Amino acid sequence: MINRQGEHHLPVPQWAVLGFCLLLAFTIASCRQFDASDYLRIGLIAEPKTLHVWLASDRNSRKILSLIYQPLYTRDPVTLEQVPWLAADKPVYDPENISYTIKLRPARWSDGSEVTSDDVAFTGQLIKSFKIPRRYSRWKFIKKIATPDKRTVVFYLKSPQAIFTTRTLTTPIVPRKQWQPIAEAARKKEKPLAALLNHPIYHPLGCGPFVLKEWRQGTYLHLRKNPYFFGSHTKIAGRVLGPYINDLLFKIYGTSDVAILALKKGTIDMFWWPLQPGYIKDLSKDPHIQLFINQKSALYFMGFNLRRPPFNDVKLRQALATIIDKKFITHRILQGQGVPMYSIVPAENRFWCCDTVARYGDGLSRENRIKKAYKILTGAGYTWDVPPVDSDGNVGPARGLRLPDGNLMDRFTILTPPADYDPLRAMSGMMIQQWFRAMGMPAYARPMAFGALLNKIKTEHDFDTFILGYGNLSLDPDYVRVFFYSKNDKPRGWNMSGYHNSDFDKIARASRSAMIPTERQKLIYRMQELVIAAVPYLPLYKPSVIEAVRNERFTGWVNMLEGIGNIWSFCEVKPVTAD
Amino acid sequence: MPVTSAENTFSAYRSSRFHFLERLKSGWLVYRENLLGRIGLVLLACFACMAAGSFIPPLIDPIYHPMSGVDPLISYSTGPSLRHWLGTDFIGRDIFSQLLTGARIAFIVGVSSAFMSIVVGTIVGMVAGYAGGTTDTILMRAADVVMVMPTLLVILILAALFGQLSIWIIVLLIALFRWPAVARVIRSQTLSLKRRPFVDAARVTGASCFRIIFRHIMPNVLPLALLYMTFRVTSAILIEAALAFLGFGDPGTVSWGMMLQWVWKTGHMFQAPYWLLPPGICISLITLSFYMVGRAMDEVLDPRLRKEKALE
Amino acid sequence: MGMRKYILRRMVGVIVVFFIILTALFILFRLAPGDPVSRMVDPSLTPEDAAYLIDQLGLNQPLGIQYIYYLKNVFTGFMGISFHYGQPVTEIILDRLPNTIYLFTTSVILSALLGIFMGKIAAWHRETKIDSVMTIVALFCHTLFLPWLALIMIWFFGYRVGWFPLSGMISPEVWVTPGTSSIIKFLDVLHHMALPLLTLMIIHYGSYLLIMRSSMLDTLNEDYIITARAKGLDEKSIRDHHAAPNAALPLVTSVGLSLAFSINGGALTETVFTWPGIGRELVFAVSSNDYPLAQACFLLIAGVVLMANLVVDVMYAYLDPRIRY
Repeated sequence: MINRQGEHHLPVPQWAVLGFCLLLAFTIASCRQFDASDYLRIGLIAEPKTLHVWLASDRNSRKILSLIYQPLYTRDPVTLEQVPWLAADKPVYDPENISYTIKLRPARWSDGSEVTSDDVAFTGQLIKSFKIPRRYSRWKFIKKIATPDKRTVVFYLKSPQAIFTTRTLTTPIVPRKQWQPIAEAARKKEKPLAALLNHPIYHPLGCGPFVLKEWRQGTYLHLRKNPYFFGSHTKIAGRVLGPYINDLLFKIYGTSDVAILALKKGTIDMFWWPLQPGYIKDLSKDPHIQLFINQKSALYFMGFNLRRPPFNDVKLRQALATIIDKKFITHRILQGQGVPMYSIVPAENRFWCCDTVARYGDGLSRENRIKKAYKILTGAGYTWDVPPVDSDGNVGPARGLRLPDGNLMDRFTILTPPADYDPLRAMSGMMIQQWFRAMGMPAYARPMAFGALLNKIKTEHDFDTFILGYGNLSLDPDYVRVFFYSKNDKPRGWNMSGYHNSDFDKIARASRSAMIPTERQKLIYRMQELVIAAVPYLPLYKPSVIEAVRNERFTGWVNMLEGIGNIWSFCEVKPVTAD
Repeated sequence: MPVTSAENTFSAYRSSRFHFLERLKSGWLVYRENLLGRIGLVLLACFACMAAGSFIPPLIDPIYHPMSGVDPLISYSTGPSLRHWLGTDFIGRDIFSQLLTGARIAFIVGVSSAFMSIVVGTIVGMVAGYAGGTTDTILMRAADVVMVMPTLLVILILAALFGQLSIWIIVLLIALFRWPAVARVIRSQTLSLKRRPFVDAARVTGASCFRIIFRHIMPNVLPLALLYMTFRVTSAILIEAALAFLGFGDPGTVSWGMMLQWVWKTGHMFQAPYWLLPPGICISLITLSFYMVGRAMDEVLDPRLRKEKALE
Repeated sequence: MGMRKYILRRMVGVIVVFFIILTALFILFRLAPGDPVSRMVDPSLTPEDAAYLIDQLGLNQPLGIQYIYYLKNVFTGFMGISFHYGQPVTEIILDRLPNTIYLFTTSVILSALLGIFMGKIAAWHRETKIDSVMTIVALFCHTLFLPWLALIMIWFFGYRVGWFPLSGMISPEVWVTPGTSSIIKFLDVLHHMALPLLTLMIIHYGSYLLIMRSSMLDTLNEDYIITARAKGLDEKSIRDHHAAPNAALPLVTSVGLSLAFSINGGALTETVFTWPGIGRELVFAVSSNDYPLAQACFLLIAGVVLMANLVVDVMYAYLDPRIRY
């Protein structure tokens, strides 16, 4: 069957391969000459999904947006106190009218038009009228926003609110002229909030240090210095702000290994993502790489379901708290890059953290922990088929824990986030399971997809125990109230453990309207003591934030709680000068 | 094997049975000649030894337990030493004993899910081929539905939606998504067997459909099904490894994919070759050995290739 | 049965299958625990706000109504708006799809070419050391664990030797520099494509090699090869001009199907190389409960594969009428 076709050449692979190689060699050569040397190049782990400030819920979008939209007040990197940012001075409180008067700095949007008090009032109204999720709870207690002149805003509150200055005034301000038409169009729709959130925003207009130059979806994002930034050459919190760099280039690396290689190779100057402790040894050998280790305002904890037995027994919870070795977790699983936590408020939040709470077996050895837990449990009427501590006081593996009513303890699960989301928490869950089993408890660690996990814990309340974490906890301690207030024990509510205590509720209510910080501090301390004594949540640990940058081209990163990726850094980083 | 008359049904059955054993024996003789097949079997034997040996280290000392045993003196990743032949992972667990356990898990996952998918595929294929008509159409459409689904992607989605899957559910899911190709092959084989005289003979003597399918057709499609099983084993192992690597595996199970996930997620990827290389190489070698065995079996079963060999 | 009737029957079958997948997908996503709102771990989100948001996204309507909307969306080609991007799903897909197609079609074609070339040589030297070594190497490459190989390739060629970029599809530096010519931009994309291509080729050329080898062995026993030998043509010309082109024919369907399957982009490859394609997008969408985006991506993948299967079946039926039973 030799046909004409058969006589033809096949596409000759040798030839193709040679040509391909040539082409590659050429591309390698041609791409060398571009190095855009004055750009600060930053690696991200995933692409920002949207630049819509009200829609953005992923961390990378919020990072970019934090450089564009600015709040009235922000935190000082050293003292962590609130400092005026877009506002000119501290808010003036008038207890009689329950009102705050705030003066604005002279500032301009990135198109050159003025930022006025009207924009602030508009932002508030927008949040209130559309019930914008996450923001609304901080604004709904505001009765009225008045704008006596272009630079002055007066907020009238329905009742005194402790979170007003710390939470409401840190909301980013948006310009009326960009958002008014969008809001009006959305109001006419059947689903106004959905219409507002789904309105595409390709060119966010803000007043921050940088403006969006170009966003090529899926590949890179280019920000340029905002010539109208209100902080330029101004001294705020004792710092003279820039920005001193003209261009920011965000590149995306799907895995942190590759981003680290990029950092070592010099194709990025900073990787804006916390590193796993395993990288430290290797990176600290490189003289061109500087590591930053900062604390995190976070809470990683184990929660118990107080609604059902056996975890409704406070003695059992205290015994479990005694068995868990927090130092093992921070030392081995976190490789020393984290600290054990004892209260709900992180210790770095010095003003609000109460350090007189119970510490449950802190510093004890494995054996002594078991002995202490054994004592607590036998005291509460628990028995074993084979007890963990025999009559001679020797510790051995236990079997068959029986509840005070004589029944064997049912198997229970420790829900954790999945390994792809947080391998360390999944691993901690496995370790805790082993410790519980040594006490004769049928514990099963079960990592679960994150959405499913929260659904089970928060919405359905169908769980025994879980390990979760809050990163980015606000510095205002109002969450101590939110997490354990009995009214918040409902589907989707934040009291996930189902903790009910009328004393606690009374103090919590008082703390919400306590306007004098020292008074509020006392109440918050008391709340922490109550909670830790009852252990609905057992605080476990708090990881450190490890970040790495290259030091030969840029310098001046600002350390702060949560790491160097803060607004101060971006306003202060300078190119390294030749001398 | 021309058996035509109705009276010979029984002997036809006997002969097909006998024929099966005979073929197995002659098949082995051909198989032995095959280089790939021999290498594959040797490799498989090594892995089987590893799997069997995985029970030993935890007995020597609890610090060698692959999941929960940590070396009290070592709390970070270290290189190979006398105490830990392949070094330790980031919390001080022994990598060598993890590697051995991984072999056991690979066999469990590979063989059990391949076996399940072959059972389903063979039954569906035989029934569809033998019954024909509407049954055939429905079964084959169902096969189409499953076949167009990219297996790894679907299981990833299920894992992401329904939470971390246990190792047995993963095995089951892999089996569920891998039967259609087998069913198609078995069906066409059955179609040709159906027209063979000995099946007609059985039908004439009043044998039930059930009996015909399992007594007369099955022995003849079984070698083919076995061949497909070796290929299914490889894909099952690779899928489980990929799932575990991405963090969707069973975290309570020490598989090679899980080991790679640990080395990857804890930032030791490019610093600890003693930890990165062994599991990756093992995954490749075990799939390779099943592949080689499959290829060799293929040559045994494909008479055309054998003939060609005979000609030389 | 006539050809036309056969095609018609197969098409009806495809539509039914597509419909089943469509429905199964809908049920699967609604059965899954959690919703896009439940992932927001932020104490400022009160239960009331969350409920309001769910209502606004249309997620608290009865399933029947949601299903009707979903069907309407599928048939009008408007697949809804992504929860997290706030952008129409079709826009996102159209943006990512070409990237996937560039990478994977190129890789299928190149690995097929390499496979044909090596398979030809292996068959020509059958039963010799060359043949065994080539087959074993091909099998070994084929069983390499993809993400593992990819990361090692990145480390070696991207970092150690430094010939290729580490990941991504373009160098932003090149694109933001004003006045860069499009040839340079094109070369830049090629440069980034090299490493993923190489990885995919290493893994996939083996299967083409094996098909080509066995097909070539068949061809070598055909009469016309013997005739050619008898005519005294030199061996190389018999191999390259007579046997190989005919032996490569069976590969066409295999390549065709691989092209169709390549649309799912290999979530693994795209993730490790940060290639902005459809597979990576699908995994992201699923893990953040972004139903509209995940459904659309999946339907696209399943639809293309279904169509490819149909085309292949019809082609077979056309070439070999015995198929139609």
